[in-house]
Amino acid sequence: MREPEVTYKPESLTASRPLLWGAAVLSLIMMAPVAWLVGLSIKSNQDLMMGTDSVFRFPYTLVNYLNILHSSQVFGWLLNSVIVATGHTLGVLVLSSLAGYGFARLEFPFRRTVFVIVLFGLAVPEQAVIIARHQMFSWLNLHNTYLGLMLPGFSSAFGVFLMTQFFRAIPKDIDEAALLDNASQFRIFWKIMLPLTLPAQATLGIFTFLGAWNDYWWPLISATRKEMYTLTIGIASSQTNFAQSEGLGFLAAQAVFASLPAIIVYLIFQRHIVTAVSGGAVK
Amino acid sequence: MSASIELENVSKRYGALTVLDDISLSIAAGEFVVFLGPSGCGKSTLLRMIAGLEDVSSGTISVGGRRVDTLPPGKRGVAMVFQSYALYPHMTVRQNMAFGLENIGVPKDEIGRRVKAAAQTLEIDHLIDRKPQKLSGGQRQRVAIGRAIVKEPAAFLFDEPLSNLDAALRGRTRLELAQLHARLGSTMIFVTHDQVEAMTLADRIVIMNARRIEQIGTPMEIYQRPATRFVASFIGSPTMNFLPLTAIEKGQSGLALSVAGLGRVETSFPSQTKIDVEGASLGIRAEDLSISAEGETGIPLKAEIVERLGDRTLVYGVLGDGSKLTVEADGRAAVRAGEVLQVRLAPDTFHLFAADGRAVRGGQ
Ligand SMILES: Nc1ncnc2c1ncn2[C@@H]1O[C@H](COP(=O)(O)OP(=O)(O)OP(=O)(O)O)[C@@H](O)[C@H]1O
Ligand SMILES: [Mg+2]
Repeated sequence: MREPEVTYKPESLTASRPLLWGAAVLSLIMMAPVAWLVGLSIKSNQDLMMGTDSVFRFPYTLVNYLNILHSSQVFGWLLNSVIVATGHTLGVLVLSSLAGYGFARLEFPFRRTVFVIVLFGLAVPEQAVIIARHQMFSWLNLHNTYLGLMLPGFSSAFGVFLMTQFFRAIPKDIDEAALLDNASQFRIFWKIMLPLTLPAQATLGIFTFLGAWNDYWWPLISATRKEMYTLTIGIASSQTNFAQSEGLGFLAAQAVFASLPAIIVYLIFQRHIVTAVSGGAVK
Repeated sequence: MSASIELENVSKRYGALTVLDDISLSIAAGEFVVFLGPSGCGKSTLLRMIAGLEDVSSGTISVGGRRVDTLPPGKRGVAMVFQSYALYPHMTVRQNMAFGLENIGVPKDEIGRRVKAAAQTLEIDHLIDRKPQKLSGGQRQRVAIGRAIVKEPAAFLFDEPLSNLDAALRGRTRLELAQLHARLGSTMIFVTHDQVEAMTLADRIVIMNARRIEQIGTPMEIYQRPATRFVASFIGSPTMNFLPLTAIEKGQSGLALSVAGLGRVETSFPSQTKIDVEGASLGIRAEDLSISAEGETGIPLKAEIVERLGDRTLVYGVLGDGSKLTVEADGRAAVRAGEVLQVRLAPDTFHLFAADGRAVRGGQ
């Protein structure tokens, strides 16, 4: 017998026209500044001096990008950003996973109270503590160090909350089966529970990384020496010193260059984000 | 490989709430014991205490003569199959089965050999590299059993392992479990609230109710000689008929009972039996009643509902005084709802229960 042919068309695939147009217009509005930036970055500084409308005319050039390779400090800043954002992300993942597992599975005194206190962290804005933190780091001689740039981010109330919820969603039977399988507490965490939270790790990791990558305020305060700048601070400083900078096209090229790593990270991990958001990770 | 299990005065309390009260039970090596009881009576709790997943509030548990209630779950030599199967979702079938052996340092080739043997026994060797998500309910169930088998445990603990399967698969798996028990000869404890599973699988059934064990016995003992009114009503379908007593006297050869709806009946319960009429009741299984042939006399019963099951017919009716009575008749019995039948009693099949629910022995 032959399989009957599938002839129906799912309704969701044929979105209505007005909706499509609406989405297109919104996308254009979102994309315009990005496109503008890319346009500026492929024009020579001389052309841009005459007026930025030259973006719409030939000739285009990659000279600004070549200049980054040769002259700019961008590479140093890029490296700083990679180190800080990666360290920050790893710290958040490790601490949030351990804390989440603890809150979800271990019995200890004042567990609920401590959890509530941790969640209070969500309500405290960075601005409220920045002066105290600045002083503390200054006493500890942590300013202008990688550790100093990373440390404040480690305590992520959101991360702890997310991981706690994720661990809680894993059926208790699974831990118990592992207990009966002679697994130690750490082995249960490491071999059973942690792998089951991978989608959450990916989500938390990518958001943390992007947040750290784009962070501006704390690096601005903590990194005062130019060689400790992260990308955001570095680029901002060259933009504010526009008069001494090497021109608008060069700045735009720097900005494009700076956002590439974040885009790459997003592209690599976006599959996991979709998995995590659409659920069904633990069944 | 199989071991006896001994529970002595085991209790479980959650704060002020007592969930199990002074349970004592000994299970012989190789025996298949079923814990049967209504929801919430503590079956799972008792099983989990044997497994080590719950602490014992008081009392002791031994497996194979060795006291285990102070040992962690992994060290007790028992394996458990969960109702939810509790497979590790991120591991393949092979890894699921191997995990417990890796944890105790069994050599790799030995693990491979045991996993292969178990997979063949359970006919899941073609699924060995799949993850649980890609398995059907019945296949997951087999993997869960396989995970227990490879550990070669002293005893298997099952907590309602069949309840997530559809009816046909449940019946088949039940048979396979019986075969597995016959082949391995291991001690098995099986928790269920399905009396068919209990009757068909068990060497002995432990009937539990409200924190206590009501009766322990072979399936036929439990069915034929229920120790309490609870057991009598819990086992058997349709439920046993219970009729209150109004008087108990010495009869010709045993007790003569005045039964609501039936009048005075002579029984073979020894006449010296001491029993208070207050709260006492007579139990009669539907299958021990029959419909008299045309013209014979009997107890009149007005049939209200007639259920035809093919091989037998269940007649739900009311007696003269309004008491309800269920009678099991032949599959071809010509009974219609609304009709008045004559019912014949078989006094030596009666069960007599005192006010506290205890069965009065003797007679039958
Ligand atoms: N952690 C707990 N705290 C308090 N009471 C509990 C706890 N766990 C179980 N109980 C109680 O213990 C009793 C027995 O529970 P248990 O799960 O053993 O019942 P069961 O016989 O397995 O029922 P079922 O057939 O529904 O699975 C129930 O009344 C339950 O409410
Ligand atoms: Mg249960």
